[in-house]
Amino acid sequence: MLKLKNIDAFFGKIQVLRRVTLHVEAGEVVSLIGANGAGKTTLLNVISGMHPSWEGSRLFNEVETRGWRPEKLVAHGIVQIPETEKVFTPLSVLENLELGAYLRRLGRTVLQEELEKVFAVFPVLRERENQPAGTLSGGERQMLALGKALMAQPRLIMPDEPSLGLAPTIVAEIFRILRSLHEKGTTILLVEQNAKEALRISTRAYVLDTGRVILTGTGADLLNNEEVKRAFLGKDYQGKWER
Amino acid sequence: MPILNPTIETLDRKALLELQNERLQIVVNQAYSNVDFYRRRFDEAGLSPDDIKSLEDLKRIPFTSRKDLMENYPYGMFAVPLRDVVRLQFPLGLYGNPIVIGYTRKDLEIWRDLVARIMAGIGITEHDIIQVAFNYGLFQGAIRFNQGAESIGAAVVPASIAPAEVQLRIMKDFRSTVLASTPSFALHILEVMQKKGIDPQTLSLKIGLFGAEPWPEEVRRFIETNWGIKAYDIYGVMELVEPGVAGECMAQDGLHIFEDHFFPEIVDPASGKPLGPDRPGELVLTTLTTSAYPLLRYRTSDVTALHPEPCSCGRTLARMDRVLTRSDQMTTVRGINVFPEKIQEVLASFAGVGPGYTTSVSQKKGMNDQLKIGIEASPEIMSATEERRGALRDALHLALRRAIGLRVEVELTKRVQGAGGRV
Repeated sequence: MLKLKNIDAFFGKIQVLRRVTLHVEAGEVVSLIGANGAGKTTLLNVISGMHPSWEGSRLFNEVETRGWRPEKLVAHGIVQIPETEKVFTPLSVLENLELGAYLRRLGRTVLQEELEKVFAVFPVLRERENQPAGTLSGGERQMLALGKALMAQPRLIMPDEPSLGLAPTIVAEIFRILRSLHEKGTTILLVEQNAKEALRISTRAYVLDTGRVILTGTGADLLNNEEVKRAFLGKDYQGKWER
Repeated sequence: MPILNPTIETLDRKALLELQNERLQIVVNQAYSNVDFYRRRFDEAGLSPDDIKSLEDLKRIPFTSRKDLMENYPYGMFAVPLRDVVRLQFPLGLYGNPIVIGYTRKDLEIWRDLVARIMAGIGITEHDIIQVAFNYGLFQGAIRFNQGAESIGAAVVPASIAPAEVQLRIMKDFRSTVLASTPSFALHILEVMQKKGIDPQTLSLKIGLFGAEPWPEEVRRFIETNWGIKAYDIYGVMELVEPGVAGECMAQDGLHIFEDHFFPEIVDPASGKPLGPDRPGELVLTTLTTSAYPLLRYRTSDVTALHPEPCSCGRTLARMDRVLTRSDQMTTVRGINVFPEKIQEVLASFAGVGPGYTTSVSQKKGMNDQLKIGIEASPEIMSATEERRGALRDALHLALRRAIGLRVEVELTKRVQGAGGRV
């Protein structure tokens, strides 16, 4: 579905991505993991058209999308869920969701059907329907952001750090939702600090380090990879010498 | 025809090249940042890992040779810390100029799966009983047959180097359906079988999986006709995985290289210039998924040709010809690799002999059977009593046998003025 070839990306003169080559097949959950500053968010921004300064090849369903504007990419089903400012805080939950479907220009009936589908996944959003998004808790905001993305009828969703700053039970809920979206066939490219949870739900993953892909494998492979364990899986990991 | 991993083994060539390209960039990144040797190599060549944007760019990377592996012995070529390594393996017969190859748990898993691919591809299933008659002591790849077979659920009989009579007894009693061995040992078993008047029909054997030494087509035909089995070739490179780099399918029309894990090139052994498809030359391999011991453009010294067109079995993985010759001086005699370095080392430990020597092999059915070494000796030795020369011959014989792991015939010859080479 998505193929990136030799993506170089820049902030001014500073190169932040170096010949990144990766692919995402339809129906996969692919995680990008890596330390802060590795280039994960920049990579999502390149894919969604939000980062202007890049070179290389970006193919979506075998079509070169170089030069496509973000709205054209969204219209083709590529939907990013940014880490911050993912919802319009003054607007109500309902208005946010409707904006998600803005480019689809749906009639009232179809729109209502789509809303029902989202409410079925996130019952809490129905309860908060008329509340301004700014009054939602962190977890609810994340759900709204996911719901808004689903309203765009995405072919690929790209959540950026969906678990950031959330309480553990909410994090579990977010991952449960991502897993169920995957089971329903949604293709997901996920950027996540919580490498362990991300790898658990991933079919495959790539590890980025200072702008380069340094490892790849199935989620299970990388969960068992000693290098990944040391770098990303935190203090509950002990090497065989430390045990 | 059975295919264990159809997604990969029948992937269209374009998608396969994309997968290889993606993996190549990762392995280049790993090698450059984790292996000092490769970092130096790149820097000396004025090359950055960022210059390798496609499989085409691979040609810009200098070759890696066995000499490089020796010079960086023991752990200089490792790309992961030793604590991530779960197996250390060294090719026997090279103690003098040793190398050691490390494998992570994942590396071993991949290796096992590749051997399983070959086995499944020639029709081995969980109903089979595989008699492994490789020398587990001398050939470290032997254990891979166990693991590959066990992973597809077949039963393994590690018969090792039990004498032919015992092998036949096991074959009969256990109703073994597959024999995995060197082709020369298979020939030997067949000979004994014929001598004892055992009718192959009374055995359950249907498949032979043979490797670890070159064997020409005539040997295959001889075994197949006289034994009534199908015989297949399996190929590996001890510095990567042996066996498991490539294997024949039921079409018996070349060995499928596992290109999702190894990128093959064929080069002119003398100039190093890449040669196109269907042209014979030295096989050069780049590992694409190896964690512990990544090798970029490793020169295998094995001579073969590559055929990228799809096979009648449905696989799209390129096929290589069976390896019958080497581009270096190593010879394989009855499945044992004989390195010239090893012989030189033994000769250097004796006074008055060498360094010049010649080797010749006598063949049986076109396969190396006996190694004869003619060793140059000083005039003093040549003019000494027959008794003294006999003692020296015996001592050399013993030392060579110990070093190579093979019984050799030793002959002392007059030293040729100014010569010091070998043939």
